[in-house]
Amino acid sequence: MKVFNTLDTVFNALGRFFKNVPYAGYGLFLLLLWLIPLFHSVDVISSGQLGIFAYIVVITVAALGLNILLGFSGLISLGTAGFVGAGALGVGVFLDLGLPFELAAIATLIVSTALGALIGLFSLKVEGIYLAIATLFVGEILRQIFTTVPIFGGQSIMIGSVTLFGFIELSTFSQSERRVLFAIIAALLVGMMILMQHIVKSKTGRALLAMSRSSSAAQAMGVSLLKYRLMAFSLATFFATFSGIMYALYNQSVPTTQWTLDLSLFVIAMVVVGGYKSIYGTFIGAFIIYGIPNLYLKDLFGDVSYIFSGLLIILVILFYQNGVAYLAVDIRLLYAKLKRRIHGGSHGKAPLD
Amino acid sequence: MEKLLSIDHVSMTFGGLKALDDISFDIHRGEIVGLIGPNGAGKTTLFNCLTQFYKEYEGTFTLYSDAPVDLGTLKVTDVIDHGLARTFQNIELIPDLSIIDNLLIGAHASTKDTFIEEVFKMKRATSEEARLRKKAEDVLAIIGLTAMKDFYVKGQPYGILKRVEIARTLMSDPTLIVLDEPAAGLNDQETDDLEEIIKIIQKEFNVTLLIIEHDMGFVMNVCDRVCAINFGKFIAIDTPAKIQANPAVQEAYLGRDDDA
Repeated sequence: MKVFNTLDTVFNALGRFFKNVPYAGYGLFLLLLWLIPLFHSVDVISSGQLGIFAYIVVITVAALGLNILLGFSGLISLGTAGFVGAGALGVGVFLDLGLPFELAAIATLIVSTALGALIGLFSLKVEGIYLAIATLFVGEILRQIFTTVPIFGGQSIMIGSVTLFGFIELSTFSQSERRVLFAIIAALLVGMMILMQHIVKSKTGRALLAMSRSSSAAQAMGVSLLKYRLMAFSLATFFATFSGIMYALYNQSVPTTQWTLDLSLFVIAMVVVGGYKSIYGTFIGAFIIYGIPNLYLKDLFGDVSYIFSGLLIILVILFYQNGVAYLAVDIRLLYAKLKRRIHGGSHGKAPLD
Repeated sequence: MEKLLSIDHVSMTFGGLKALDDISFDIHRGEIVGLIGPNGAGKTTLFNCLTQFYKEYEGTFTLYSDAPVDLGTLKVTDVIDHGLARTFQNIELIPDLSIIDNLLIGAHASTKDTFIEEVFKMKRATSEEARLRKKAEDVLAIIGLTAMKDFYVKGQPYGILKRVEIARTLMSDPTLIVLDEPAAGLNDQETDDLEEIIKIIQKEFNVTLLIIEHDMGFVMNVCDRVCAINFGKFIAIDTPAKIQANPAVQEAYLGRDDDA
């Protein structure tokens, strides 16, 4: 079959290319993301849609962090929203103190990650449903702090135009600068994806997996449960906080009231639907859970995001537990099967010229 | 012969039950020792005390790897640093990792790079990773699993999984390996292969082995000496043939013949 031979050659060549140049995939992905502001500049994408894409990019980083926790370490947190909010609002507070944006971001990351590590101590004591309840209240406490403690302001914190590296001033109110901001957060997302790739494909990633799949084997091999549970929570918090900082950078005005349990649940849905342990899958999950209802369904049916993601999560849990990221693997298997069947079918027949 | 491990007056109770009752024996460097006994004799309990999964035992385990160390003073995760590695009765592998990645977990304690070096893929992290991958490939070649190294553990036959678990212990450069029922659930061919593998690794890696096993044929073929325990009590330690002929051991397995 000529078609199959050509397809095989193409697939094999592509596979070899991405294996030999491991960062090519991420580079390509970044270029694709950069097409979005390009389309915006020629009015293919509206400003509202650009904002939705920006939110997908931002929240993917938080979902990546949760994937380290849920997918690799087998631990759960319902407090993600609290830490995204802490990142976004924290950076605003440090900027108010007069720090430049980069230093404000670093300070926020340090404070928030330390807090996250503290939450990790819960996980040494409790597991499963109890851990979910404990982290749920951590999220709620953080939300309450954001809305009532005076330093975070009342309804929202205004950040205004951000100066990067001391000389590039970018304001989200200018359409062209907004596109640059989008390009920056897209690059930050890809940077975080590469960071995660490095973490999960190393000693740390293997230790996290060992810890969640067999705690006795992990201990016998010298993996300290204390160290790696704290590590998992610190990483998840670091990613969530980073996501919040990206939010502040792009939107330049941070509401205090939207960091609720709803958001934490949506982030969990992104990981479950997108695919445990899959980096690209997490982005796809974020696109499906936040992007599809807001980009496409809203115009047709109104705000159905809860119904849509609720149904999806149930369907995925019931019928496709790996998540959509593994569709690619299954399609490849199906393709091999199809090829075998057609090849097998033509056996014994006279060759068609 | 040089002593490698001495087990001194070890006892362990669960509630009112004495699972181990004053067990004492020594293991010498380079030998393969079998640990036998009927179900519930306390074999796995002894392993769990030895590897510090259970901490509430009495008595001492002294390991003479380099400087003599009282294992009771170590945390469960530090035991491997002193050259003691183990397998489990029910296979404890990571199903969603490839076989070679499972082996790399065995090298966790001996990996020297830091988290920061990993995150930024600094030179030491990549060279450590390359070194360990090479080592894992060498181990797999000896165990005879080279062709399967990139397969996921999930879905592999039981015989393969048992071998992967043994291979994983070798990644930490152990001096003493304790195997908990390595031949359980294997068919005759797989058991024969396992005997070969154990003899090979004993020579190639210069290790000492302590093996819990029910398969008497396997124990007789592989072990230099065999220790028998029953109801938590030490019965005897001797060569396989002498243990087989020991009346107390026969009684433990078959019961006493009251008519005699």
